[in-house]
Amino acid sequence: MRYLAQRLVRCLILLLGVSLLTFFFLELAPGNYFDEMRLNPQISSGTVAALRAQYGLERSLPVRYFRWLKSVLQGDFGYSFAYNSPAAPLLWVRAKNTLLLTVTAMLLAWLLAVPLGVWSSAHKGRALDRITSGATTGLLAVPDLLFALGFLLLAVRTGWFPTGGIVSVGFETLPFWEKVKDAAAHLTLPVVVLVLGTLPVLVRHVRAAMIEVLDSAFLRASRGHGIPRQRLLFRYALPAAANPLISLFGFSVATLLSAALLVEVVMSWPGLGPFLVEAILARDIYLVIDAVLLSTLFLVLGNFFADLLLYWADQRIRAE
Amino acid sequence: MKELIFRLIKERKWITMRKRIAPIAIFLAAAVSFAVATRGQTKPAAPGTEYLVTTGEAGRAGGRLVVSLRAEPKTLNPVTATDNPSKEVIWRLMADLVHINRFSQRTEPALAKSWKVSSDGLRYTLKLRRGLRFSDGHPVSADDVLFSFQVYLDEKVHAPQRDLLIVGGKPVGIRKLDADTVVFELSQPYGVGERLFDGFAILPRHLLESAYNEGKLTQSWGLNTAPEQIAGLGPFRLKEYVAGQRLVLERNPYYWKADQKETALPYLSELVFLFVPSEDAQVIRFQAGETDVISRVNAQNFAVLAGQQQARGYAMQDIGPGLEYNFLFFNLNDLSGKSLPQLARKQAWFRDVKFRQAVSAAIDRDSIVRLVYQGRATPLWGNVTPGNKLWGNASLPHPQRSLDRARSLLQAAGFSWKGDGALVDSGGQAVEFTIVSNSSNAERMKMATIIQDDLKQLGMRVQIVALEFRALLARLFDSKDYEACVLGLGSGDADPNADMNVWLSSGPQHLWNPGQTQPATPWEADLDRLMKQQLVAQKAAERKKLYDRVQQIVAENQPMVFLVSPNVLVGAKNGLGNFHPAILDHYTLWNVEELFWRGK
Repeated sequence: MRYLAQRLVRCLILLLGVSLLTFFFLELAPGNYFDEMRLNPQISSGTVAALRAQYGLERSLPVRYFRWLKSVLQGDFGYSFAYNSPAAPLLWVRAKNTLLLTVTAMLLAWLLAVPLGVWSSAHKGRALDRITSGATTGLLAVPDLLFALGFLLLAVRTGWFPTGGIVSVGFETLPFWEKVKDAAAHLTLPVVVLVLGTLPVLVRHVRAAMIEVLDSAFLRASRGHGIPRQRLLFRYALPAAANPLISLFGFSVATLLSAALLVEVVMSWPGLGPFLVEAILARDIYLVIDAVLLSTLFLVLGNFFADLLLYWADQRIRAE
Repeated sequence: MKELIFRLIKERKWITMRKRIAPIAIFLAAAVSFAVATRGQTKPAAPGTEYLVTTGEAGRAGGRLVVSLRAEPKTLNPVTATDNPSKEVIWRLMADLVHINRFSQRTEPALAKSWKVSSDGLRYTLKLRRGLRFSDGHPVSADDVLFSFQVYLDEKVHAPQRDLLIVGGKPVGIRKLDADTVVFELSQPYGVGERLFDGFAILPRHLLESAYNEGKLTQSWGLNTAPEQIAGLGPFRLKEYVAGQRLVLERNPYYWKADQKETALPYLSELVFLFVPSEDAQVIRFQAGETDVISRVNAQNFAVLAGQQQARGYAMQDIGPGLEYNFLFFNLNDLSGKSLPQLARKQAWFRDVKFRQAVSAAIDRDSIVRLVYQGRATPLWGNVTPGNKLWGNASLPHPQRSLDRARSLLQAAGFSWKGDGALVDSGGQAVEFTIVSNSSNAERMKMATIIQDDLKQLGMRVQIVALEFRALLARLFDSKDYEACVLGLGSGDADPNADMNVWLSSGPQHLWNPGQTQPATPWEADLDRLMKQQLVAQKAAERKKLYDRVQQIVAENQPMVFLVSPNVLVGAKNGLGNFHPAILDHYTLWNVEELFWRGK
């Protein structure tokens, strides 16, 4: 319990620090949300100045920061100039879409990476291991953006998959199974891109961790006792190699999230990515700060979840 | 048809669809221009609804049109909306008293069936159509008009449109004569006339008055507002909004336009806006058949789409130059009080009209058209593009690129060339400057590169700096730390008044030297005088003459070196009836009430 409280306090301090830094860096960036109106010949400079004052942009940085903090405590998380509404509901609805994409991709990536890594380590140095290593190297070298563009091209050329969005127009009118098929079709390409981007790193880590364990004395002894290979790999070796992989799992939440933001923009997935890009370009600063904080929160939660897993998986940590 | 008759019988109303026989001259003019562009005349209807009868091809009801928006709309509130996606949706939900036909660029009756202007030009009496109802069925009256303009004029609301209602420094006065008649009173004659009323959506008092009284009107009609809380007089009404994904509009059963066969408009049952984050994504979705209409396509994407149009069942259209004009301008700001000595020194060149004329003479506009826009743009020598049918000055010269003329102008201004070909001023300083532009606009960056190459041939050394858009604006308007800039402006209206703030020396968009207290040069004083004169001139011919002179002065003095006007490039799936894209915003959906699917 004390451990949880400590983690929570640290997390709050981290979020405060990130919010302060984001506020500061955004302040350094030239321009504000209302500047674009200055190029509209039908809007006078007086109107633009009045709007700036109305939204408190003329106030000092500390005043604006504390006003934002107050709104965080009230659950609004600041105010979007563009949408003229509190930021929290705007972010939440898009964060759900991002979570759907990243959680699906993460589960799929790990479900593929663990058996592939284990299998590769068990065949270390043989042809199949070399093929796997070559494939992961190749995948590592290809940027996510190229995957996304390639799959988009495939979708346009073949018509097998939708080219963007989360569901089709008229989704509500479809029968249940058609809805499932439609949602799955929309999810497929962004998930595949994310999985292909994440998989090679995970496979290589699993392989490396497993090879280290497979060379250990207790596994050689187990093998000598005639324990079947599959059981040996998954029942004994994998739990022993799990600690670094669990830590990696925590970090993979953050990496996958940042990759998802890019993929969302390219593949028109209505998550935080396109929303954040638009908010940055428009200088809708509270949305940007909130989105950065949300990303930080995902990272912290990913690590926290990894710590809990470690606590559960490793008796030594429990004893400490 | 059945639906209309049923409703009219139910409401005990009837419309008499008697057609006016137009004078032969008008008929011929209309036939030559474009039959669809000429809009219908109001049919007298007593005692029921007075429909506006359109002259487009009679279509068939039903179907859904899917279009993509490059960004999500931010609001459905016409009082606060400033971004294009919001306006594109809002103007399918709302209507104004008098409307500028986006195709003919002339005004036409809308919610006001007629208007009268007093002989002194100070009073506009507008007669509303009888039987108008908001999309929730609530009747419309002059009180709604009064309420709407009260809101737009309220300083506390900060409506961006308020500035358009300040004529001669005073707000327009509004009063009600009777339930269907309103009078607008101006403090001085206003050249734009009834164009003034375009763009002011009539708001439902019954839904917004309490929010207005509580000072919360600007927070009203956000995207999450329940559909039954939003009502307008446009062809559609809100059905559904899914954050980040789409906005669905449904047919407004109380709409006030009908076709020649007495079928109530709009034809389409649903209009769906998909939110797509970039132009490339829009192109992909159109190509894949997921959207039905595409607009604001750049030349490269247009070429890609046009190459596949037959195979994929759509047609792309190049409708010629729009109203956007791109230009290069130099920093002519008064920099006293700013510590920018290098820039102040270079301003001696920029302020010399011969220097600016030489730069203009050296720029190869045809190359810009060919290389940047793949031929889908028009070279410009003035601020009014060929797309503006009413206001262009045909007598402006269109000189071909001439390096010889550019060299003579530079020589006459005291410049000379060193042995290595570098241009130097009379003090021996090499002519070097930087052109800034916004990095997000690939076309402008390419234009800057071509200019760099053109000016190199005169011995000028030009650097290009790409800046993020708001950083660029901060340099132009705040720090004023720039030397030259490539930018573009595009008005929402063809009338010169839309660019008033560009040409007045005190205007905030007088880009080369904005917000002057006194005109810095005699020709800027002339521009001020002419623009103010055309503002109050009541005869169109007189205004045209004054604005022709403005264009002439601008072309002679080159405060902006005009480059090109890009063509408006659009596309639609085959089978979309009455699809007649216009060069004014919103290019493809301006007549959405008349769009229909053939054979669907």
